[in-house]
Amino acid sequence: MMTWSKKALLTTLFILISGCTNTTVNEHRETAQPLRLSGEEKIIILGRRHAGHYETEPDFIRCIGQRLDNGHTVSVMDEQLFIDRLYPWFEPRTAPLKLGRLKYMLRDPLITERMADLGIRYMIWVDGNTETTDSSGSVSCAVGPGGGGCFGFATWDKASNYEAIIWDLRDLTDKGRVRVDAKGSSYLLAIGAPIPFIARVQGEACDGIGNQLRAFFGGENSTESAEER
Amino acid sequence: MTDSKPIYTVLSLAMLLMVIAGCSTNVVVKGDFPAPLAHPLPLNADLVLTDEFRTYTFTDEKTKGKKLSFTIGEAQAMLFQEITDALFASVTERRALEGNATGELVLVPRVEEIQVARPFETQLKVFEVWIKYNLSVYDEHGQPIADWIMSSYGKTPTRFLTSDEEALNQAAIVALRDAGARLIVEFRRVPEIQAWLRSRAPATAGEEKQPT
Repeated sequence: MMTWSKKALLTTLFILISGCTNTTVNEHRETAQPLRLSGEEKIIILGRRHAGHYETEPDFIRCIGQRLDNGHTVSVMDEQLFIDRLYPWFEPRTAPLKLGRLKYMLRDPLITERMADLGIRYMIWVDGNTETTDSSGSVSCAVGPGGGGCFGFATWDKASNYEAIIWDLRDLTDKGRVRVDAKGSSYLLAIGAPIPFIARVQGEACDGIGNQLRAFFGGENSTESAEER
Repeated sequence: MTDSKPIYTVLSLAMLLMVIAGCSTNVVVKGDFPAPLAHPLPLNADLVLTDEFRTYTFTDEKTKGKKLSFTIGEAQAMLFQEITDALFASVTERRALEGNATGELVLVPRVEEIQVARPFETQLKVFEVWIKYNLSVYDEHGQPIADWIMSSYGKTPTRFLTSDEEALNQAAIVALRDAGARLIVEFRRVPEIQAWLRSRAPATAGEEKQPT
């Protein structure tokens, strides 16, 4: 058993090396009822990639999927597998940006049948990205015959802004949306050896959006449940 | 002393190779393309993939110290085979335009231009690939129907990938998939091709079975 003093020390160390992140989550629901999946029905989470200057990161989409998929009541399909099975209708150029366009696409029996075969009930579109907003300082490293080392201080800020929209494919309606904004500063202090203090900005955004989406599907979005994972 | 000479030679050559390799990027684009979901036109087509097309390599020697060689021939040939198989009732592959056509349509894709942008050129953290194709379409008698200039685009963020080569490969695959999407969605909307399809029979012209 770990003593209280050791636990406190480890927690302090974890807080120190984690840096600081502020996260804001907003949600809008069309209905107070939890969204349900029956039988073999699945959710597909897709990233928006049509913009020229950014694209929603595939690993962020995987992260949300892992938070949402609980193995029994909520099942999430792999994004790339879905895009490949419906090629070319969910490529950056052809993917529906609005529900009206999806309704039009689903007039094609080939697409409707493929969706039904895959058992897709809810489609969640995630738009946004994580970017470095500011950076300053520098760290220099040198190696000589007697050894090596680094010296300096660097800091950088990151911001994550994402919005998820849930579409119900059964009645082709918008069931709600979740918006998450996370900001954080990371530091690298080097006195001999570099010591990083990294803020989990994208990770916090994933936790925020993932937990909120779980709440849509009848799961808990409490901090305890997030920590269990 | 004499025994150590070969070691020095080998080490020098290895270092020289490392320096040369560090200054150039050689990419042979490799990847798979999924079978498209499309309503085939009730037509037989000949797909002409010339040796030049199958072995196409783009080289950029203008950027000093960062030479790029980008071989896309095999991957683009595979893409056109996959897409035309889904777009027509049957496809016969040929190596040259000369000779008798077996189908009602003959398609000859050519690469007009390739542009590659790397992060050090654009100051963006993405690799970008643009491919401009010219798809020449002929009827069974060799009469030209259309010259369709079709551009496609692909980009990949660097951070998910381990090397420049892998990132460029990924961006090229995205650009090729984009070209495939345009072929499936827009082929029958090209005005000259649409007019030719209408002139043949109402049955082949129609076709707004699939969303466009």
